[in-house]
Amino acid sequence: MNQTRRFYSFRSSSTLVVFVTLVVVFSIFTPNHIFINERNIAALGKLFPDLGIIALGIGVLMICGEFDLSVGSVLPFCSFIFAQQMIADFSPFVSFFVSLLVGAILGLINGIITVKTKMPSFITTLGTLMFWRGILYVWSKMMPMSIRTFVPSGSPFQKLMAGNLNAYIPVQVIWFAIFAVILSILLHFHRFGNWIYSTGDNRDAAHAMGIRTDLVKIICFMIVGVLCGFSACMQSVRLGSFAATQGVGFEFKAISACVIGGTSLRGGIGSMTGIFLGALTIPIIDNGLILMRVPVFAISAFIGLATILFVLLNNYIERKTR
Amino acid sequence: MEYENRQNDDIVRMVNIEKWFGRVYALRGVDFHLKRGETVGLLGDNGAGKSTLIKILSGYHVADKGDIYFDGKKVVIRSPRDARRLGIETVYQEQALAPNLSISRNIFMGREPVKGFGIMDKKLMDEESMQALQNLGLRLRSPDLPVVTLSGGERQGVAIARAIHFKAKCVILDEPTVALSVKEVNEVLEFIREIQREGISSIFITHNLYHVYEIAERFVVMARGKKMTDVLKEDVTLDDLSELVIKSALVE
Ligand SMILES: Nc1ncnc2c1ncn2[C@@H]1O[C@H](COP(=O)(O)OP(=O)(O)OP(=O)(O)O)[C@@H](O)[C@H]1O
Ligand SMILES: [Mg+2]
Repeated sequence: MNQTRRFYSFRSSSTLVVFVTLVVVFSIFTPNHIFINERNIAALGKLFPDLGIIALGIGVLMICGEFDLSVGSVLPFCSFIFAQQMIADFSPFVSFFVSLLVGAILGLINGIITVKTKMPSFITTLGTLMFWRGILYVWSKMMPMSIRTFVPSGSPFQKLMAGNLNAYIPVQVIWFAIFAVILSILLHFHRFGNWIYSTGDNRDAAHAMGIRTDLVKIICFMIVGVLCGFSACMQSVRLGSFAATQGVGFEFKAISACVIGGTSLRGGIGSMTGIFLGALTIPIIDNGLILMRVPVFAISAFIGLATILFVLLNNYIERKTR
Repeated sequence: MEYENRQNDDIVRMVNIEKWFGRVYALRGVDFHLKRGETVGLLGDNGAGKSTLIKILSGYHVADKGDIYFDGKKVVIRSPRDARRLGIETVYQEQALAPNLSISRNIFMGREPVKGFGIMDKKLMDEESMQALQNLGLRLRSPDLPVVTLSGGERQGVAIARAIHFKAKCVILDEPTVALSVKEVNEVLEFIREIQREGISSIFITHNLYHVYEIAERFVVMARGKKMTDVLKEDVTLDDLSELVIKSALVE
């Protein structure tokens, strides 16, 4: 009993160790301990949920046995739609729902292409990543669009998406927490969660037990799409504009976050606690290294290295515990 | 229509089943029936079409031709969902369990009891899983154990407990003893006897005639997509059966 608990939680507990270590290291070694400075924490809290919320969805999708590389262009695409709707005089709330809807549709397309062609989603979503980005560049002519006038500072929608709960807690953190709780209930307590795990762990078995595995996968792709739509609006409101380069590189950072959170690349293994911690860890690495004045490109190298080492570590632990 | 009246002691009747896989003519007009409470051994060489036949019954494949009657009624089985709804449960060697999921999540896979809003009733799942395993004589430490930590025999126990728990009317066992140790094989054979005691009909596919001879009441031998022989146990010795299987495979 105890041992299985340990077995199950092992992956997230190693994530926790990494997370805590990083926090301690950065707190000590950043100049003037600026990492634990309130303002830095508050700034982090505003920035990381853009990626974090998407990473939560990617984690669910990975447990189901699929990847989504297209998030890096679905996000700016939704952001563009959001801006366009407001420029066309729709209220921010209506534009927001349109953006979620477009995210859902792009997720649906990813899902349908993947299950119908039976191609690895690594390939299908690599295709849609490049496709949607191309369409977006042509359509938007890569011109940034200001939306500040539609969601001025202090307006209800601005407060909801980019305001502050109090002096320390930006509202983005609350959204991140809310999605983590919802997805955690879905994964661990809802029957649909059992279908997600079964589909990712042994698709044949799930199918033989009457689970519609194609549908489960498509819904997981749509969850990711909707979260992209949400994150797109949140980011645009924070920035006060649409920029065609939003979300660049999110696809791999989101996967790294999930992997560091102990999610298996083969599906069927992972937990919301782990994914949650992973989604916190990646931005902390980013932020901490920037504060330590590490050049930006070296940060990318560091995250790459950390991801590989973490997978090795997890595989090692797994072999030891089995 | 006629079948409905004449054959109502059959739980399953498959008539003139044909199946093509591209250019492979896997089933060439097979008739197969299973009586209530009966255990049939389905035998034949590799590639004879045994798995294909039962996968049509379990909804995994759809036949190109032929009819299926279940419990006296003509049925159309297009998916595993359809089959499970009728009460047909399948136990495969590796296929039927998700290794990293817990025992109780496996037993209730696809049929999770819910408390409302789709939230699973974990307590009920755990209790009933342990009960179902205990009925098979299997005492496992906890319903939370991932299936991958169990022995091969215990895993088959989980799959069989699942079938019995959901009141299967017909259990299909496709080589359930492959790759098991002698002790585990005996365990699984004991589980199959429990299925018989419950009065559930079953189809037992295996290459091991010793295992099947002990348990089945009737034997069907297939070769190259056709049914070659259909004999009751009282009409054959183990040696006869072995000869039948070998000869069927050689006949052109
Ligand atoms: N999905 C499939 N696609 C193509 N051909 C298939 C498929 N499944 C089975 N076959 C072919 O159909 C024939 C019958 O196969 P089947 O698996 O039913 O045999 P079997 O009697 O179960 O053999 P074994 O004892 O080896 O399991 C074989 O020639 C096999 O190659
Ligand atoms: Mg077979």
